[in-house]
Amino acid sequence: MAEKILARASGRRSVEPGEIVVANVDRLLMHDLSGYLTSQVYDREVNLPVRYPERVVMVFDHHFSPPTERQADVLGVNRAWARKHAINLLDCGSGNLHHAAVRSGFIQPGMIVVGSDSHTPVHGALGALGVALGNDSHAGTVLPYGKAWFKVPKTVRIEVSGTPLPGASARDVALWLVARIGEGELNYAALEFAGPYVKGLPFWDRWLFPLLCVDLGAKCAYVEPDEVTEAFVQTLPGGPASLDRLERGDSDGREADTVLRFDAGEVGPQVACPPTVGNVRPAAGVAGTPVQWAELGGHGGGRLEDIAAAARVLEGRRVHPDVRFNIVPSSREVFAEAARTGLVLALHEAGATWFPPSTGSNQAYNMGALAVGEAMVSTHARNFPGRNGSPDAEMYLASAATVAASAVAGTITEPQEVAA
Amino acid sequence: MIFEGRCWKFGDNIPTDRLVKAQYVFEPMTEIVKHVLEDLNPDFPLRVEPGDIVVAGRHFGQSSGRAIATKALRATGIGCVVAETFARTFYRNCFEVGLPALEVAEAGDLVRDGDRLRVDVSAGVLENLTTGQRGTGPAADPFLVEMLNAGGLIKLAAARPEIFS
Repeated sequence: MAEKILARASGRRSVEPGEIVVANVDRLLMHDLSGYLTSQVYDREVNLPVRYPERVVMVFDHHFSPPTERQADVLGVNRAWARKHAINLLDCGSGNLHHAAVRSGFIQPGMIVVGSDSHTPVHGALGALGVALGNDSHAGTVLPYGKAWFKVPKTVRIEVSGTPLPGASARDVALWLVARIGEGELNYAALEFAGPYVKGLPFWDRWLFPLLCVDLGAKCAYVEPDEVTEAFVQTLPGGPASLDRLERGDSDGREADTVLRFDAGEVGPQVACPPTVGNVRPAAGVAGTPVQWAELGGHGGGRLEDIAAAARVLEGRRVHPDVRFNIVPSSREVFAEAARTGLVLALHEAGATWFPPSTGSNQAYNMGALAVGEAMVSTHARNFPGRNGSPDAEMYLASAATVAASAVAGTITEPQEVAA
Repeated sequence: MIFEGRCWKFGDNIPTDRLVKAQYVFEPMTEIVKHVLEDLNPDFPLRVEPGDIVVAGRHFGQSSGRAIATKALRATGIGCVVAETFARTFYRNCFEVGLPALEVAEAGDLVRDGDRLRVDVSAGVLENLTTGQRGTGPAADPFLVEMLNAGGLIKLAAARPEIFS
């Protein structure tokens, strides 16, 4: 799929892994930080009109509300820049960059989607080619010309079969894969996720596989598009018209020269421990580690599925008195659905605290700083030391059910332990 | 494209967050550059000299793809950066901001802090002048060498807009 999309977007019949092509870009996604850095470079060093402003989307997701005057200034500069160039702007409270872009209908199958955010490959969940580029690509070629240079990646197909153990979810399988394959082990590759386990998942669970591919070093990743992709895309504002460029039938294996097969049958709850996302261990191995903070949020978290999973764990239980449990919906649509279905009140009464739709504690720009010796367990996508406050605090990444179970127990706890 | 300088050695899986910490991202470069990699080696931002060479382990520059991490490393005055492997956004950003980069799979075994190194980025060769050891890696793509010679992607696009229009 990566080769097909790059060939079409560069006006070629076919392309070969390793060659460099210049291709048309369909979407540029920027959040409030990368948008600021890119706009500054653009105004200072390029200063041409934005060629296709309708293709550019900025989402304020690191700030649901600026905590300092400096940060308020940054948002003000971004707003003025967005107005001046007539690009799309989703302001504070819209949700996480990638979730909000999808929910607003900006992403369609077959598109080339670029952004500075390293998790831009997540749009492979819709059959788009999502690639993270740097600010200078955006300022130098995407904004003025609507194009970018790409080295064509080789494709690695990852087939997952089996049914994980009780208590484990798609996020546990995705974390387990990062550990099994190894951080940086698939550098520069395009990953095609397939196999009966992945293909049996609903859309928002599939989302987690291209999300976590970034830590394998991949350039992009996607779930082989099929009827689940088609059905999901039809629910978006773009509607059925956006299916025109959906690439199906990739399972011919013409692009993938390597196939990795995994059986998820023995996978239980997993936790990515400090200092990197690849330091994944079975949750049972770190059970008992005290946590002061628990959070559903970030690029991969705050999905309706996460909120519902937490509500199931918390039913009839309360958040431990030593733990603050933050819930950050990934989009306004998710919050609305949680409100309609009673999840907002149920989790509030269980002791959790709701935050506005945003990317939550990601890098502690507007919430979630940790003090020396504190620990957080969350559905976030990153856990590097110093990312959220003190370098001597610890960040653990886990499924929503494990996060909720840990919030109840006050220590890292497998979900089935709370239910027992 | 040959560089000669003193080696600063770093480990594996270093994220861009540790090259430029979140609290400095919006600061002017004159301030950012005082803190580059300070958590991992407090001497580095204080004592790095123009022409020095950074050598890192595997998956260097992972995490956020913001170019400011490579710009900050370039702003320290180093001649080039070598790693066993780079995170792909970091590798891309190096060339786009005009910082030469080379991958040498066994780089960590070939160098120690303070060794004199010679790096040929366009040929893909790392030589340790202190020990006489030598390693090789993939030569930079000619398009990337052209980008370096132009002074980075923005200058390349300004000089040769026909590539992108």
